[in-house]
Amino acid sequence: MNDGLPDVEESPAGAEPVAGRSLWGEAWQQLRGQRRVRACLWIVGVFTAAALYGEVVYRWHRYRDVTPAYQQSNLAAQYLPPSFLRHPWAGAPADGSAGHRFLAGCRRLAQHPLGTDGLGRDVGQRLLQGARIAFQVGIVTSLIAIPIGLLLGCLAGYFGGRTDDAIVWLYSTCASIPGLLFILAIALVAGKGLLGVYLGIGLTTWVGLCRLIRGEVLKHKPQAYVLAARALGLGPGRILFRHILPNVFHLVIVAFTLRFPAAIGTEVFMSFLGIGVQGEPSWGVMIANARLRLWQGVWWELAFVTLAIFLVVLAFNLLGDALRDALDPRLRTREV
Amino acid sequence: MWRYIARRLLQMIPTLIGVMVITFVLFNVVGGSPALMTLGPHVSPRALEDFDEQRGFNKPLLWGWWARTRALADQDFARQAGAWRQVPGAEFTPPAGLRLPGRAAYVVPLAFALRPDTAYRLTLRYRAAAPAGQPAAEVLLRGAVLQSLPGAADGAAARLDFRTGAQTGATDLVIRVTAGALELRAAQLRRGMANPFDSQFAFYLRQLARLDFGVSSSLNQPVTRLLRQGVGPSLMLTVPIFCGQLAVALLLALVCAYYRDRWPDRVLVVAAVGLMSINYLVWIVAGQYVLAYRWGWFPVWGFASWRHLLLPVLVGVVSGVGVDLRFYRTILLDELYKDYVRTAYAKGLSPAGVLFKHVLRNALIPIVTNVVIALPFLYTGSLLLESFFGIPGLGYLGVNAINSSDVDVVRALVFIGAGLFMVANLLTDLCYAWLDPRVRLE
Repeated sequence: MNDGLPDVEESPAGAEPVAGRSLWGEAWQQLRGQRRVRACLWIVGVFTAAALYGEVVYRWHRYRDVTPAYQQSNLAAQYLPPSFLRHPWAGAPADGSAGHRFLAGCRRLAQHPLGTDGLGRDVGQRLLQGARIAFQVGIVTSLIAIPIGLLLGCLAGYFGGRTDDAIVWLYSTCASIPGLLFILAIALVAGKGLLGVYLGIGLTTWVGLCRLIRGEVLKHKPQAYVLAARALGLGPGRILFRHILPNVFHLVIVAFTLRFPAAIGTEVFMSFLGIGVQGEPSWGVMIANARLRLWQGVWWELAFVTLAIFLVVLAFNLLGDALRDALDPRLRTREV
Repeated sequence: MWRYIARRLLQMIPTLIGVMVITFVLFNVVGGSPALMTLGPHVSPRALEDFDEQRGFNKPLLWGWWARTRALADQDFARQAGAWRQVPGAEFTPPAGLRLPGRAAYVVPLAFALRPDTAYRLTLRYRAAAPAGQPAAEVLLRGAVLQSLPGAADGAAARLDFRTGAQTGATDLVIRVTAGALELRAAQLRRGMANPFDSQFAFYLRQLARLDFGVSSSLNQPVTRLLRQGVGPSLMLTVPIFCGQLAVALLLALVCAYYRDRWPDRVLVVAAVGLMSINYLVWIVAGQYVLAYRWGWFPVWGFASWRHLLLPVLVGVVSGVGVDLRFYRTILLDELYKDYVRTAYAKGLSPAGVLFKHVLRNALIPIVTNVVIALPFLYTGSLLLESFFGIPGLGYLGVNAINSSDVDVVRALVFIGAGLFMVANLLTDLCYAWLDPRVRLE
């Protein structure tokens, strides 16, 4: 990515020039070969698809202005276990042929594959809505935090002096406030609901990225390609965002992947406390509900939510580690 | 060394100011009205004013001669009439304003009596037709004419400054319309400040200087006392968690380093990633249900004896050990590939001897940093663990404060947390400087 400059130190004079492969190409090659990474990508893909499907369902119900099924209580189907635990012929009509009864049983099994909760709402549907909200939280908080961290980090690293002092002051102040309390305080001020979650997480988690980018820009600033760009008379904005930024952008990708599961965890926590999502089924809300019903032996809601969170968070964590290993050899966590 | 300490202490001042500014901005500037947030919209203006008075929220933000008062809410009659709707005889016609027909007196709808011996400023925008040379209306305070309003075309503004006497009731401010009719467009009342720098910010600084964090609105007790009561249980919970986590993670990391890239290492790394990915809530909920309720190994809830602490401590250690294990393992492995380790092996030392005598000692510097920097988080305890297991510590206090929008408690917790973090940061840097003389000279 070094702006097309040949890597002088690596290829001795007179040797055949090696077919160039960019950092990204190489990283992709390296990642694609790992079975673990492929599995993680599948999980992330399924999660994204679930979130998009949930979004479509949500929009559709809002457009039609009806209460969606996952919000309506249906006391006839209360506490229905997941279908793989249900007896297919339980409650089937006694009359009719065997085939007829078999079909009716199958239909019933297909109705609530992951069971229902205490109000007879489908756990699977609610799980999808939870995926939608988790995905939204991950994306929106990244859209708040990453631009702030990136911009401030670039400015601090490149301009130095007073700008640097001010930005370092800002982030060391923010870093000294205990994270969770800061998030909760912002959410308290912003009011209950998703907005508070977005602002709370988004406005507090930019510090790490800002610090990283600042250090990296400081390292790139005295390099030859930046000096050359400056000698050509390019302005600071162009140098920063066209020349230096592509060289530090892998940090953003890694940061995004690693902050996604953290944001999901925080959202679950906040919704659980009751200051997060209001009146919609998020994973935190589901855990809060399932907790009370656990004592009545209704374990499947909690189990499925746990499984969903576990898989998504695990996939993002592993993917983040693999990406970091592939894109930033200095920060290897594997094969030290 | 002393010079280094002094320099680090000086560097802490801007951060401290920053924390003060951020907490102030968060709760006083962008937060809307804390009184409304805490007490809700269905409380009398008098109660809101008392709440604000106690916490200094009824002063100007930074400086100023005039402060808002809840005795009369700012009213723009283009849309709403608010309290003025109750004034007998007044006609509210939304886009035009509030019409007060002539030859009658109207009591300004103050929510409560004005303060004695205080300057007030009433600003009215109005339209009134009156014969030349005669006032259209007069504003009276306890029967005495304060000022007369001349006839005016649309949007004329009148500013009435007055001082209340020894006592002024809620019905003592009267508008008397003499001729025609008065059409009010907007009205606002401001309270004059004796000292323009007697502001919310000054109030907050004075509070902090006295280490007084205000009064909890939900528990009606001074926040300082609540904090003092909560620290003990919090520490009882978090100190064992902290020590247990450190011991377990360090031990397992040493096992990883000893068996690096063989099966014990692999299993532990996979387990650590797995532990990291299970949500904290699930540990608590499942632990409480299975271990305490189903199997009856521990008490489920409460804070009566040391046995009540066992399960929360266990949950805390298990849920946090994954991250630490990975961190310590990375540090140890980084150290293992250094030249001095190779030299030690070349001399024929045993692997265990190298690991414990050479590697662990050198790896201690980053480990100590990590440990010291985690110290301030001991004080809030764990927000969730405490509220789940009914341990009356600071975390429990914090969760309750957030649920009941108790601004003062949340602000105090944030501020003290930041202060402790800064102190811990200072200690880490001093440790560094003590261990590594190069740092001092930078």
